[in-house]
Amino acid sequence: MQRRDFLKISAVAGATAALEGCGNPDHQLIRFVPEEDLIPGIATWKPSICTLCPAGCGLLVRVMQGEAEVVREGRLGLLKMGLAKKLEGNPAHPINQGKLCPRGQAGLQVTYHPDRIQGPLARVGPRGSGQFREMTWESATRQLASQLADLQESGQEGSLALITSPLRGQKRAILDAFANHFKKSLPVELAFFDDSTIRAANLASFGHALPLTLDLGQSNYVVSFGADFLGTWNSPVAQAIGFGRMRTGRPGERAKFVQFEQRISQTGASADEWIPVQPGTEGAVALGLAHVMLAENLRPAAGAGHAGLLLEGWSEGLPDYAPEKIAAQTGVKAETIVRIAREAAAHDPAVAILGGAAAAHTNGLVGALAANALNALLGSVGKPGGILFPPLLAAKESGISLEILASQINSRAAAAKVLLVYNADPVFSAPAAWGVRAALDKIPFIASFSSFLDETTMLADLILPDHSPLESWLDDAPPSGSARTIRSVAPPAMHPLHNTRSMPDVLLDLAHQLGGDLASTLPWKTYDEAIEASFAALYKEKGTKIAKDADEFWQKAQDQGGWWSTEPESVPASPAGAPSGVVKPRAPEFAGDPNDYPFHFLPFASQLLYDGSLAHLPWMQEAPDPLSTVMWGTWVEVNPRTARKLSLQPGDLVEVTSPHGKLEAPALVNPGIAPDVIAMPVGQGHQNFTRYASGRGANPISILSPLTVEGTQSLAWAATRVKLSVVGRGKLILFGGSLTEVSPELEHR
Amino acid sequence: MSRPAPGSSLYLSVVIAIGVAALGLAILERALSAEAMSAAEEESSGAFTPAHPTLYDAVREFFEIRSKPVQPIAYTHKVHLANGMQCTDCHVGVDQGPDARIPSVNFCMTCHQVIATQQPEIKKLAAYKARGEDVPWQRVYGFERSAHVKFNHAPHIRAGVDCSVCHGDMRQQTVAERKVDHTMGFCVSCHQQKNASVDCVTCHF
Amino acid sequence: MAHRWGMVIDLDRCTGCEACVVACRAENNIATVGEEQAGLSRAKHWIRVERYYEGEFPDVKVKFQPVLCQQCDAAPCETVCPTFASYHTGEGLNGQIYNRCIGTRYCANACPYEVRFFNFFNPVWDKPLHLQLNPDVSVRTVGVMEKCTFCVQRIKAGEIQAEAEKRELKDGEIRPACVQSCPPEAMVFGDLNDAESRASRLANSRRRTKLLAELGTRPKVTYLQRDSWHGDENA
Repeated sequence: MQRRDFLKISAVAGATAALEGCGNPDHQLIRFVPEEDLIPGIATWKPSICTLCPAGCGLLVRVMQGEAEVVREGRLGLLKMGLAKKLEGNPAHPINQGKLCPRGQAGLQVTYHPDRIQGPLARVGPRGSGQFREMTWESATRQLASQLADLQESGQEGSLALITSPLRGQKRAILDAFANHFKKSLPVELAFFDDSTIRAANLASFGHALPLTLDLGQSNYVVSFGADFLGTWNSPVAQAIGFGRMRTGRPGERAKFVQFEQRISQTGASADEWIPVQPGTEGAVALGLAHVMLAENLRPAAGAGHAGLLLEGWSEGLPDYAPEKIAAQTGVKAETIVRIAREAAAHDPAVAILGGAAAAHTNGLVGALAANALNALLGSVGKPGGILFPPLLAAKESGISLEILASQINSRAAAAKVLLVYNADPVFSAPAAWGVRAALDKIPFIASFSSFLDETTMLADLILPDHSPLESWLDDAPPSGSARTIRSVAPPAMHPLHNTRSMPDVLLDLAHQLGGDLASTLPWKTYDEAIEASFAALYKEKGTKIAKDADEFWQKAQDQGGWWSTEPESVPASPAGAPSGVVKPRAPEFAGDPNDYPFHFLPFASQLLYDGSLAHLPWMQEAPDPLSTVMWGTWVEVNPRTARKLSLQPGDLVEVTSPHGKLEAPALVNPGIAPDVIAMPVGQGHQNFTRYASGRGANPISILSPLTVEGTQSLAWAATRVKLSVVGRGKLILFGGSLTEVSPELEHR
Repeated sequence: MSRPAPGSSLYLSVVIAIGVAALGLAILERALSAEAMSAAEEESSGAFTPAHPTLYDAVREFFEIRSKPVQPIAYTHKVHLANGMQCTDCHVGVDQGPDARIPSVNFCMTCHQVIATQQPEIKKLAAYKARGEDVPWQRVYGFERSAHVKFNHAPHIRAGVDCSVCHGDMRQQTVAERKVDHTMGFCVSCHQQKNASVDCVTCHF
Repeated sequence: MAHRWGMVIDLDRCTGCEACVVACRAENNIATVGEEQAGLSRAKHWIRVERYYEGEFPDVKVKFQPVLCQQCDAAPCETVCPTFASYHTGEGLNGQIYNRCIGTRYCANACPYEVRFFNFFNPVWDKPLHLQLNPDVSVRTVGVMEKCTFCVQRIKAGEIQAEAEKRELKDGEIRPACVQSCPPEAMVFGDLNDAESRASRLANSRRRTKLLAELGTRPKVTYLQRDSWHGDENA
């Protein structure tokens, strides 16, 4: 007898009949008429752009029909619609060539996040109480327009502050037009891991205010100073693709990769040789390498041109940087420096990379200039296997730093009346010492375009939630990752789930409500019109050979995910001749007396949570950190010797105190960190950032001292010293690996 | 301890006892939670899970008790097919991929804007359209989630399996009924006859 | 000849970035379990990146190794399953048939690679996160074991597509989600019965190893060991 027949027989007939009559399991929601004509079960692929980090990778979105519960015109119902199911890299895109990092993969969860703000909100409770009421878009935009009109009419145009992530493409053009119209407005570009130090160095050395584009696939020798270029730094997917090729992509050839840093990063883990270096002396090591090459006549000093002459002592062969002179200061043995210099000089093309913490010391700009000079000396600038610059118009440096904005408001030197915040969380991303929270409290009206109630949006008076990136038109002009000229564009991959509007569309709407000059400088009704206009201009410049008219060019670009040149268009370093002055390399400064604060504090970008802006995604919280395997939490890394000295057991809760604050987090013992360095990932420690991130862990940014990188406005986020004490037992969740730091209450498996 | 062999009287009585107990529980639970359930049905709950919403549903599925679908409109396959329409005119995509499309109200109205507009069922259709709603058709076929079957129409159609093999003769059906029981035995016997794969992972993944 | 699917992972390329881990989760409807359950070692990752530290500061080395179901030819999980839920498919995969599985967890105990994951509870997605679920892959329920399938749904889709176009599958045409996302292209998937496939050729590399080969499980995943710099040999 078959099991199922048998069970059927054993069922009581009467009960069966009773059950048969019972109600319909399908719920009673109405069904809306679908807006799209999709065949169920068949995937379509739509190009999009990843916006989760500055790299600007191209996406292909797998879209399939699904049924979503949506509210349309006040009614809840079910709608059959195209839903994004999976994100892949766009194989045609020159930066990521079909590949995608873990953070990019998780972009889906931004769209489907359960705590997304579903429509415009106005604050009703006291600031920070999180009490809002729903409102219509019409009244929301009218309210903001009237705030802005008041500023215009009362001649207080300088009282508009704007805090955004660094923007590119037409989104930037629209925002810039807005900022320019409100003369003396206070625009702030905010990214915790910003690249402005590197861009400033590249402008001085090579005439290009751009980040580095690396051509690792053809490199034979790579020296990296602190740059997590396979994880979070610059254009990590493009760099990882190149890395794979440089390792085993060329039969018989395998490049060497040397990493200098204080803690083995995810990138350092892949190095052939990992060399610890004293914090802030990375530039000195670069100059030491240059010294050896000059002293041994491996390269002519003049070969470095402008980039070399910028540095004091270059023409004399950098006498202060003889390996034995810098060995004590840098912690790198003289013979190591000599050996690496010889190896690098003998293995063309060789390339030096400086970034991350190495550029976030007070002397970070000089360090970056030193690495630039080393590249120039090696002959790797603008050459295959070296560093390249795509022919992009460098984005103009706009505005002021958040630190300056906050201090001006707090000291009443500036009076911001209205603040617009887009794609940035200044309360989370700034050291407490900057007084950002206090400054925001002094701004009478704050409008946020955020999709989530983060720390800053909690303080907003008006919330105008943006579409998710997959629901939006997008355009981009990524400045690094490929030597080809790239203009990415993507129509929405899916219809919006909620009652949201694209931020540039809202700005254009505001411009038209305000009228006058602003409306005439922004003639477009919508963001996509603005993008189309930029592609019409691009067609005249670049597209006449590949499309018969601007319309066809525009259509092709949308189908492909953008337009890019077929060949690399790397431009040479432009400054010629002697620089007007020379830069004197200097030692790093640190906040905190070494006697009171014995450890260097090294915050680092989390491979999964990045700068904290992805902490709200459950996939990122539950993916184990590559090195620690920690899930759903944060930790502090301590060298085993240091742990012994402090009688610290793995999993102990430690208090980390800087001159500007303290925090608590569980400790993890890491053999790959220098004994005088304490490292901590950035990302957790959100007070408010959805159900998945709120109240989880601690935020290392909050305790940083407000030192800046000399010559820039950037925070020197690696320049703080701290002390450490054990305060109890902590909780750490590890996925596995050889470490066994699990808190006792979680040890039963 | 030896396990009672299926078919033995001990096994039989144990199963009957469990079945009766489960049914009793299910009925009790349903009675207790009738009010809560109706609220839950109307409002969307905050979480999606493959769990059965109630023990009652679980018991029903275990005994393969499926409600007879009640269609909002008495659509007649017979009339449409008699008028020369093909299955794929409405069920677009069935020869391209896994699923067949159930047409939306807009699709129906492309013809019924002018055809048979005075029929009461067509008036119902037009009323949905006028309210901006789609017709809430109920599924007739389809595997329970717990069957973990990933069926794909297209290869079956390419192999020349007629629609009627699995769906009965639709020319004789007005409102679609579940005329064929899609048990695993039904699928496997055909696969065996046609020398198609009967590896588990052909359908279950 | 039937296909025999296998994978080669080049550890000289792997950067430990976890792209494969998240790609797998997205493709295969693997639910997150949350902090508390993760703390009880109940997090599900069909592929994970193992990390090994060697040596003491400053002479420390770190190695990454992605570990997924090795799709063994002599699989310990298959022989112990009382319900044949775990079985060897015609194309050499270690199949896992969810509706046969009764949750004895014998397979997970038998597997030396610890790549099988048990659903201690029904998976839950806070709405509308469930709208992301891949309709091509089953959503597993409580009491059921799950593990890497080599993205069998992609294999099936590829085979059906090739059959519809009346052609043979092309090498590299089918890529599991992990392989497709991997930025340094450390992972290669292919038919080991085709001696010319990229996977077959790489599986013969001088750097080839199998994970826990001494157990005799005959895995179909081959690891290429990390290489070292050969210095001036190839300068």
